[in-house]
Amino acid sequence: MERRSFLGLIGSALGLTAFGTMAYPLIRYLAPPKPKLQKGRQSFSKTDIGDAKEIVYQQTPTIIINRPGKGYIALARVCTHLGCLIEYDRDKKRLVCPCHAGMFDLEGRVISGPPPEPLLTFPLRVEGEEITIG
Amino acid sequence: MWQKLKDGIDHRIGLNELIDSKLREYRVPGDTNIFYTVGIVTVVAYMIQAVTGYFLLMYYIPHPDHAFQSIQDIMTVIPYGWFIRMIHIVAANLMVALVFIHLVSIFFMGNYKKPREMTWLAGGVLLLITLAFCLSGYLLPWSQRSYWATTIVTNIPTAFPVIGDFAVTILRGGDSVSGVTLTRFFSLHVGFLPPLFLSIMGLHIFLVWRIGLSVPPSSPSAKEQKPWTGYAKVNYSKSYPFYPDFVLKESSMILLFLTVTFLIMSFLPTLFLPETATTPADPLRTPPDIKPEWYFLAPYQMLKVIPNKFLGICIQLIAIVVFMLWPWIDSGDERNISKRPVLLTLFLLLAVLWIVLTFWGRYS
Repeated sequence: MERRSFLGLIGSALGLTAFGTMAYPLIRYLAPPKPKLQKGRQSFSKTDIGDAKEIVYQQTPTIIINRPGKGYIALARVCTHLGCLIEYDRDKKRLVCPCHAGMFDLEGRVISGPPPEPLLTFPLRVEGEEITIG
Repeated sequence: MWQKLKDGIDHRIGLNELIDSKLREYRVPGDTNIFYTVGIVTVVAYMIQAVTGYFLLMYYIPHPDHAFQSIQDIMTVIPYGWFIRMIHIVAANLMVALVFIHLVSIFFMGNYKKPREMTWLAGGVLLLITLAFCLSGYLLPWSQRSYWATTIVTNIPTAFPVIGDFAVTILRGGDSVSGVTLTRFFSLHVGFLPPLFLSIMGLHIFLVWRIGLSVPPSSPSAKEQKPWTGYAKVNYSKSYPFYPDFVLKESSMILLFLTVTFLIMSFLPTLFLPETATTPADPLRTPPDIKPEWYFLAPYQMLKVIPNKFLGICIQLIAIVVFMLWPWIDSGDERNISKRPVLLTLFLLLAVLWIVLTFWGRYS
């Protein structure tokens, strides 16, 4: 290898190292740590929920629905297509995304439209008159 | 393939031709010293300030209820936030030092003389804008030091009769330093000063480029009486190309600047961050030992020493005007300061006075 090429190679390697050393902190800087989520549960009374209630659980917009004949379920309202918040259509008993008309049944499964996955489900427990999510 | 890509791009934009005509054929006098590279290091320092400042903007909240906490979050919660902010603080101080060194070296070598009067004037304006950057950036962390140092500085115009109080209201956006002052200084720091600085810097660099670098007054070439741009021409024998030769020298100085920045960050992290800079602003309690930054210590001490505030400020304003117009005041042909004992003595006296006032201000 020629002296000039060798020096060029060393120079490029050092330059790349320096660039990487500066770029790494800058990229890490752009991703702040996630805020600490409140661990634990949230409880509601059945009267409070009614046939459906929108809440925020662990910073995720969530809906608790009283499914006719099947009991309560807690679903994330975040559409699995592009992240819009779904709405509960009480008459047709389904969940509809206003952005691209994605539709989910009350189990969170995709009925139609572009969503690739079912809605996220949160664990839920019913004890007497109290409903606990988490 | 790489070569083909380079050739393809060059065929379209003519980069090689541009480098040849504007950089390789552009000559730098052979007897230039390291002080000729300080200007470009200052430009790099400014670029570092712009980049780190931009990143700080992503998390900083310019509101009195959140500013201090957002800075603390940048320092302790955001990954590498401390790194970015420390570079911003240290490089800001070094940038002021570099501008001072640049101006003193230009003055010492008589490089402000004809035809470089406008270059000097633009450089002087850049110094004032740099200080305005420091002053406006100072308040943003909303610490005790920020708050009270800004209170003191924005109170200075009260020395002027009739317009003094009005000027203070304009500066602060009210009677005292408040959230309005914070947003005002913030907009000045990130919105108004950067384009102003860039345009004056553009003019400064254009003038340096057009006229060419001067030869030091002590070198034999200085006696050759070349035309203005003669030393930058390719046919000037005692010279070397701007690129790559001079760029390499400049790169070494830029690396030295970065080394000093990282040394201070690593081994003297609190050099520019005293305790009052890490305490939240309290408008009801003035800290006992409030001092301005090192570059404002001399004017600060001067105002303390001179009993009449109006007189003290007038002296400083006159000094600034004389400094800016110096090339027209000192318009003689002799550039070599060693052959001008009066000017040399005056220069040394002023330098000593500046240093004494700075130390006096720091430890008084």
